[in-house]
Amino acid sequence: MGAHPRIYWKILPFVVAGFFIVPIVVVLSSISGPYSDNWQHLVDYVLLDYTFTSLCLVMGVAFLALLIGISTAWVVTNYSFIGKSTFEWALILPLAIPPYILAYTFTGLFDSYGDANNLIRQIFDLGETFTFFPNVRNLPGAIIVFGFTLYPYVYLVTRNSFLNQSRSLREAGRLLGLSQFQVFYKIALPLARPAFIGGLMLVIMETLSDFGAVDHFAVQTFTTGIFRTWYGLYDLDTAMQLSSLLLFVIAVFYFIELRMRKDVKHTTNNSTFTMLAEVDTKGLKALVPFVVCFSPIFIGFVLPITQLIVWAIEANMELLNARFLKTSLNTIILGVSSGLICACLALVLNFSVRLNTGDLLGKIKSLLSIGYALPGLILAVGIMKLFVYLDSQFYSVFEIALTGSLVGLLLAYIIKAYALANSAIESGYTRISTSIDNSAQLLGSSGWRLLRKIHFPLMKASFLTAVLLVISEVVKELPATLVLRPFNFETLAVTTYMYAAEERMYQAAGTSIAIVLIGLIPLIFLTKMIRSSRPD
Amino acid sequence: MLRIVSSTLLLSFCINSFLFAQEVNVYTSRHYDSDYDLYEEFTKNTNIKVNILAGKGGALLERLKAEGKNSPADIFFTVDAGNLWMVQKEGLFQTIESPTVLRVVPSNLRGPNDEWTAIAKRARVIFYNPSSVSKSEIANISYESLSHERWRGRVLIRSSSNMYNQSLVASLIAKNGEQATEAWAEGFVRNFARKPQGNDRAQIIAVANGEADVAVANSYYIGVMLSGSAGEEQRLAAKKVRMIFPNQQGKGTHVNISGAGILKHAPNPYNANLFLEFLLSDKVQEYMVNKSFEYPIVDVAVSKEMAGFGVDFKEDATSVKVFGDLNPDAIRLMDRVGWK
Repeated sequence: MGAHPRIYWKILPFVVAGFFIVPIVVVLSSISGPYSDNWQHLVDYVLLDYTFTSLCLVMGVAFLALLIGISTAWVVTNYSFIGKSTFEWALILPLAIPPYILAYTFTGLFDSYGDANNLIRQIFDLGETFTFFPNVRNLPGAIIVFGFTLYPYVYLVTRNSFLNQSRSLREAGRLLGLSQFQVFYKIALPLARPAFIGGLMLVIMETLSDFGAVDHFAVQTFTTGIFRTWYGLYDLDTAMQLSSLLLFVIAVFYFIELRMRKDVKHTTNNSTFTMLAEVDTKGLKALVPFVVCFSPIFIGFVLPITQLIVWAIEANMELLNARFLKTSLNTIILGVSSGLICACLALVLNFSVRLNTGDLLGKIKSLLSIGYALPGLILAVGIMKLFVYLDSQFYSVFEIALTGSLVGLLLAYIIKAYALANSAIESGYTRISTSIDNSAQLLGSSGWRLLRKIHFPLMKASFLTAVLLVISEVVKELPATLVLRPFNFETLAVTTYMYAAEERMYQAAGTSIAIVLIGLIPLIFLTKMIRSSRPD
Repeated sequence: MLRIVSSTLLLSFCINSFLFAQEVNVYTSRHYDSDYDLYEEFTKNTNIKVNILAGKGGALLERLKAEGKNSPADIFFTVDAGNLWMVQKEGLFQTIESPTVLRVVPSNLRGPNDEWTAIAKRARVIFYNPSSVSKSEIANISYESLSHERWRGRVLIRSSSNMYNQSLVASLIAKNGEQATEAWAEGFVRNFARKPQGNDRAQIIAVANGEADVAVANSYYIGVMLSGSAGEEQRLAAKKVRMIFPNQQGKGTHVNISGAGILKHAPNPYNANLFLEFLLSDKVQEYMVNKSFEYPIVDVAVSKEMAGFGVDFKEDATSVKVFGDLNPDAIRLMDRVGWK
């Protein structure tokens, strides 16, 4: 195949890769020094603390996300109980809530003067100073917040793996006298390991790059340390060196995830796919799977949404003013533009890899997905440094400054969300047979014409999915937006952050709800896929 | 489709830039809703559009430094003198020449060479719960005395990542020296009722709820809470606490400013001057005092919420310039004593 692969289809991926990599290189170049005196101070007093806190956070979140993700996946694939078909897709709803918004609602609920404590005091007629719920603004609180918003990453892949596991293996286990739990523990779980470890790596990367939630809880992690070094000690170089350190850690998790994704392909066996016999549950026993599935949805979705709606009502809907609408419009414009750009890029890149089946091109293409793992803050620092340099070189020629323009923000979003667009387009392409390409080429359609006239119409659904996935990521993004946005350009996430930092939760409710609603759109598509992923 | 999006984007920019021939670009770390009404008022009066980039002071400063002479910013408007001083040190301000500004603002509230001017003042005061703190305990209180053993487990203050705390500690270093301040901070941290968390308002509410006895926080928060604009719960909480100006027997209460200056590479310096004069006009000062509950720079009455706590208090005269200069020292000191 690929009779006349024109040269620019070959070069394009390298050009795009260049754009993606330069900001990272800018940050990493700080390692070459110079190292300021602040390093001695950091090493002596805080670095150990940042590292230890980040480590505890990651371990706690990993444990919680695995516990929730695997138990819910096991229960929905092996038991029949009330509401099961709803739980199956509803379990991913917490993905629509960014960790920082869950953090805001948690403090609103569980602070000593929070609504939950007020309620308990009212019901049991207790003294004003009585607090029932423990303080959440600490490490355990942060672990709960990340665990309950990120577990769907584990749930999604583990459920898939359980569904696709060979039935005969489990039946053999049962025949050899294993109990249901032993089948889970000795057969199903080890087989699903590559899947859930892959999902877990996503959870860890998201946790490590978060800024909003840990900032609100005053938990000192690496990311907050980077902010503090930059803005408090006025030391951007040291902040970039700290960032590089964090990047190395994230890179390790990224490659583990990549490795596991390869292994998943070896361990799933679709040819023996048959419906597993589900265990019927009755009476009190039926409550167990129900509670296992209901509690994460309640804590990660129902509770925060309810709190946000209550706040919005108490704020008397003052939220729907011109400024709110403009902020929403800004956010949507940003989301849609980056969504379209990402989807087009992904389409063109996948197309060029399809035409030129070279190992190097394929590698470049998968390298571009690393942007997903980059903390927004680090990305923003890299882009800003890069633009400042470009401006100082070329401003006199073009008279247009890149710094403080929308270009920087869009670039950050594209790098961060490209992986999502790529995965949608990639899976779309697997459904188009290469024989179509060959026939088209025989009939004289190749290159651009093949892409436009044949591939694109066949891929419309995947293209739309790609755009939507990117939008949901862009709407949530906080740290890069804080650093890079231009004049008069507030987004929903930034406004939410500003209000929440001032503890004006009532005013933060409107923008938070808007973020969640937009984040729900791509989830609706995902839930459709989940519902259709089981044979009847 | 890409073409449609890009042309819409371009068009919206064009509309924005042609609609108002005149503009002034403001980098600000103030994000009070009331400020936006002020900017609209300014546009109504002068037909000059106010472009706002809101963010944390430190972030804006870094952005200014990065943009250098290409920066579109005319005005840097921030809630902490430390950041003003940092901009001044980088040589990014120009001298304010407006006779009006120089006439209404006393010289100690302007930069050494009129690089910037204060727009409003706030005091870092102590809030206490009268049901658990006796009159004799709180009378003549100073920041320094909060490290005394008598306050063990009774004190609240927010995180050391916060600018207001960094300025307070910087002023203490300037006044008492680094060693003495570090010794003080060790005792102070030992007296914390809980790990620092939440903002100033959260500390006041916690004192109202009896979680601790005293809190160090900025003065205007109590005004916002008492006004009821933040909800009935916060108004009731605010009524349970008392506010006191510390160090009245010594050098005075730590005062910080909201201030602004015109940037050296400002594309619209004339408009920037008009904007500063506008902010310092009696009408606007009165408006700010009643909306953000700060203390005014010109001679107008403070809000009724704040007047209840007294208006004549001794202010620490430590030059605000040291806040910026000693800010990194303050952070390192707080790191050393484990002030999270």
